[in-house]
Amino acid sequence: MAAVVSVRDLRKRYRRRDPWAVDGVTFELEPGQAFGLLGPNGAGKTSVVKMIAGLLRPDGGDISVFGSPPGEPRARAQLGFAPEDPDFPKFLRAAEVLDYFASLLGLDEADRRRRIPETLAFAGLEGERRQIRQFSKGMKQRLGIAQAILGRPKLLILDEPTADLDPLGRRDVRALIESLKQSGVAVLLNSHLLSEVERVCDDVAIMAKGRVLKEGTMREVVPEGNTLEDVFVRLVEVSQPQRDHMPSFITDKEPNS
Amino acid sequence: MNGAGAVARYTLIELSRRRILLVFLVLGAAGTLLLGVGLKVLYSLSGSITTNQDPAKLQKFLELSFLSDLYGALGIFALLIAYAIGMTAIYHDLESGAAVSIFSKPVSRLAFSAGKVVAAVAALIVIVGLLALEARLVMLLFDGGLAGSLTGEILATMANSVVVMLLVLALSTWMNNIVAAIVAFVYYNVITGVISAVHGLADSGAFNNDLVKGVFDVLYWTVPHALVSSAPGDLVRAQIELSNPPRGSQTFVFIPAASGFGDIAWWLFFIVLFSGLVYLAVRRRQV
Repeated sequence: MAAVVSVRDLRKRYRRRDPWAVDGVTFELEPGQAFGLLGPNGAGKTSVVKMIAGLLRPDGGDISVFGSPPGEPRARAQLGFAPEDPDFPKFLRAAEVLDYFASLLGLDEADRRRRIPETLAFAGLEGERRQIRQFSKGMKQRLGIAQAILGRPKLLILDEPTADLDPLGRRDVRALIESLKQSGVAVLLNSHLLSEVERVCDDVAIMAKGRVLKEGTMREVVPEGNTLEDVFVRLVEVSQPQRDHMPSFITDKEPNS
Repeated sequence: MNGAGAVARYTLIELSRRRILLVFLVLGAAGTLLLGVGLKVLYSLSGSITTNQDPAKLQKFLELSFLSDLYGALGIFALLIAYAIGMTAIYHDLESGAAVSIFSKPVSRLAFSAGKVVAAVAALIVIVGLLALEARLVMLLFDGGLAGSLTGEILATMANSVVVMLLVLALSTWMNNIVAAIVAFVYYNVITGVISAVHGLADSGAFNNDLVKGVFDVLYWTVPHALVSSAPGDLVRAQIELSNPPRGSQTFVFIPAASGFGDIAWWLFFIVLFSGLVYLAVRRRQV
């Protein structure tokens, strides 16, 4: 089966003197596969997904999205990207944002009339008349996911999609991922929430300091009797100093207590 | 250029909801109306002083005063509007993170830049055009026969403002929008203003030194030229006619000339150059 995304020896750094933010990352994603990208803060996960979405330029390596370089509109036509901490033109309304993006996706009038209300309903934003500047973080996150699925993508990239969602919103996102997987959509999930990744992803890569520490199917990465969290903590602790010392002002006893 | 129309349409919707532009429009409209009505009232109140004057001449004098002030005020408002649009049209999308969602869609950076430029220019033309329309209506109060000069002056004001706006638009894609506005102001309003003024003086024979004149001749063709309509010349001529100068007077030498083909071509060059800069800035931008 032809890979939807192929990433080879990907490298990125933001300034010449900085260490590599992404250092030699390689993986492939096939249709119907859900791939989880895990790692602590600053591991380089967002840089990887932004390079796949054509938003950042790699400093080395190759990326192919549906056989094209990621910067090409042709590649992005089949891609849905829900960014971490999403935002939108702040004086527009949710329906206008979706109509704007539907136009960019080249959807015709009939498709727009059908998809926009359904997508708004899925995101729980139907009938929402306020402008984006009045939206909460959770509402923006739901709209971020809504705009990502609007074009019926064959590759869905979700960067921390549930960080600002309530439990019901998280359940909806899990159901969405399951449903998309069954219809052959490839999902790249970038998340801190290990339990979520464990529930929906078939394959997983654990990153730290720009490098992939371990990659494989969920069974390969998580041995019998362990959880993903056990594996994650073991791998990441090696590459990062432990932070188990409390500040003294927290542990000190009050003089008069 | 798939998507350019959508970018332009929704940028226009966004701009139409920005309070700062609305404030400039309301202030400009109120100022124009107050200026016109104020002059008319002043004329009525000073009727006793002006009774021995030709009423037609007085109408013309009033309209002349109105137009002189109006052209100055419109120029300032158009510049403010140009800065306000240039500082926000692309910058806010980049800073808020909206560009992340937009650029992940199948829209090329060229189409995005074209849509933004078209929307920004259209917004500027609409706002300044509305102010001009109101000014034309206010001029019905005077009927001094100078209304024809308004169209040319408005076109020149719009053309000059578009150049500044495109410069701010391009710079604000590279840097913070306030810094961009300051850089554009220093370049367009200070450096270019000084070079153009000194070049004008040199052309009128104020300097005897050929080297200075040559240097400013070269510098003049490195900066954008503010387009000048026939209105300033018309106003000066009308003022001279009102004061009945002797025929063949040398005063006419100092009447500002309207921009010629060379200046218009130079303006067009800068429009293309700054639009190109907008595209380059958007293209190299990582979000």
